[in-house]
Amino acid sequence: MNARGLRKYIDDLLRGRRPKAFVPDDFEAAQIRTAIELRAARPGSDAPRPEFLDDLHIRLAQQMTGAPPEVPPMSKWNTTRRQVVVGTSAAAAAAVTAVSVDRLVVGRQAEAPAASGELTPNDGRWVRVAASSEVPDGVMHPFDLGSVNGFVRRVNGKPEAVSGVCTHQGCRLWFDASDDQLHCPCHTTSFAPSGQVLTHQLPIAPKPLPTLMVREVDGAIEVFAPAGPVAPA
Amino acid sequence: MSRNEPVGPRQLRAVPDPGAFHGYADWEAVYQDNATWVYRTLFARVGNRADAEDLTAEVFLAALRPLRLTASVAEVRAYLRATARTVLAAHWRETLGREITSIEDIEQPPESEEAISVAPQRVAEVLDTLPDNYRRILELRFLESNSIKESAAELGITVANAKVLQHRALRLAAQVNDGGQL
Repeated sequence: MNARGLRKYIDDLLRGRRPKAFVPDDFEAAQIRTAIELRAARPGSDAPRPEFLDDLHIRLAQQMTGAPPEVPPMSKWNTTRRQVVVGTSAAAAAAVTAVSVDRLVVGRQAEAPAASGELTPNDGRWVRVAASSEVPDGVMHPFDLGSVNGFVRRVNGKPEAVSGVCTHQGCRLWFDASDDQLHCPCHTTSFAPSGQVLTHQLPIAPKPLPTLMVREVDGAIEVFAPAGPVAPA
Repeated sequence: MSRNEPVGPRQLRAVPDPGAFHGYADWEAVYQDNATWVYRTLFARVGNRADAEDLTAEVFLAALRPLRLTASVAEVRAYLRATARTVLAAHWRETLGREITSIEDIEQPPESEEAISVAPQRVAEVLDTLPDNYRRILELRFLESNSIKESAAELGITVANAKVLQHRALRLAAQVNDGGQL
């Protein structure tokens, strides 16, 4: 039995200090176990500090690559806090889950490819998506061919096209002219008109948007789209 | 526009197991996706930040290097939980010479609330069985982080009595918590 060791251990737990080693007997071990569970049940107590996560990230980078990470970490943690409410009646205790997700901003420099390849159907044909006059400089022109949908725009006078479907889970993107970005309604991912991911809140960055083959013929802009039917007749 | 010509037909290939193909791109993705639940799992079993941080760092420093990135997300998480189990067991061996808490084998995915911690439910059940003043002192001290002085004032008793009350309440709670075997 070690009453002093136990008292000190419990006191350290209550003061948020690192508890000191001692040799407890069975009943003291049971009291420590209960004290730990009581402390762990405190509202919001078990969320890791962002500074700790960032610091460990740097240590891991040094271990894995021998160098600190290129992009300094910036508290992009998917932090889930469990909050426990214990009222005057403990029977009424209820666990409440509150999720707060920090927004991850992806560096705009070309650290990732601007597009995840070109959409090239096995069996396709050129399909008109707009008159040339409908796509002046600076305009993001939407199109929907059923089998594929996307946006065409001009870059240095030449037409370019990207898919209009989010690469995360396939929600349909919309273009916000005010910030010149494509936005996903599902998880607030945003893409540049070129297809590059700009911001997301996901654990892993989604892929950039595929580009489509596009050409300008006889006053019309055409994309190379699947020839087959969208749905069987 | 030669690059804009369609490619020839490709061979149709079967994907062996689509479910197993959701892996991580690199070790950083593994860390960022799993650090929070690993920390919370350990915190629930040591009850203090300093130990939870040290043990979380130990888990990732030990686990990431030998990790195969071809493993699925579920496999990576099972491996991290197993590593955390080993690290926690070693921690108790070194500090108190016996296993105080452990990371159990469970069916739920490691990142689920049930797997991370059942402390809130267990605590609620235990507190419910205690006499009012025992329950109150534990709530005031452990859950609401009041000082012994504040707790004594709240209960309208002396500090010395509050200390004794806390001591007895924790002993009784521990007996209830361990199924009354002691």
